[in-house]
Amino acid sequence: MIPLRNNEMLLVHGNSGTLAVVKVGAQRQFFVDTPESEIMLAMGPEELLVASGFGTDEQIVNGLRCVLYMIREVNSPLIVLPKKHPASARLKIVVSAGERIVLSCEITPGTHPEQHLLCGTKEFDGAEILGVEGGVVLNGLEWAKYEKRGFSSR
Amino acid sequence: MCSVGGGDFDLEIEKIEVERYRCNNCGNKFDAMGEKVVCPSCQSENVVKL
Repeated sequence: MIPLRNNEMLLVHGNSGTLAVVKVGAQRQFFVDTPESEIMLAMGPEELLVASGFGTDEQIVNGLRCVLYMIREVNSPLIVLPKKHPASARLKIVVSAGERIVLSCEITPGTHPEQHLLCGTKEFDGAEILGVEGGVVLNGLEWAKYEKRGFSSR
Repeated sequence: MCSVGGGDFDLEIEKIEVERYRCNNCGNKFDAMGEKVVCPSCQSENVVKL
């Protein structure tokens, strides 16, 4: 288990992609908005917000932190595009939320048939990220480098 | 599950276990998933599944 505080972000560095993980940190409600409806997503403090970036440079890391910050700190809704929306092909960062996140490269970026699935680069395929009390468990990512960075002041 | 401004998604919402709720305090009806659901309008925990 990797200890992770609420004010920290865990970065997992691959060769072609990067993952960023933060705790939800408190009992929270997020909103998932589609063109047709809005769904409230109730999450607990130990659950995770995970962003996957298609790249490894500092620009991607900044983007990952920005997206997670927008969701957790600014309470920005999670916007869902209609199928085959042209913007889907331009995504460089995608996000998943839940207690257990499974990385898959078999799904098209922007297409998430199950809640816990997150698309990533091929090297992360099959990896699992679990939110546990006080930290995070990474399965199938033993080869990757990881580091923790500050995320927020609280 | 999905993403936010710029990191958008093509989520297949119909496959997610979304449930319909009603708030007993303000009468608001809404879709939600997860545990400890509260009313998004009045923040009441007094909600029931429909």
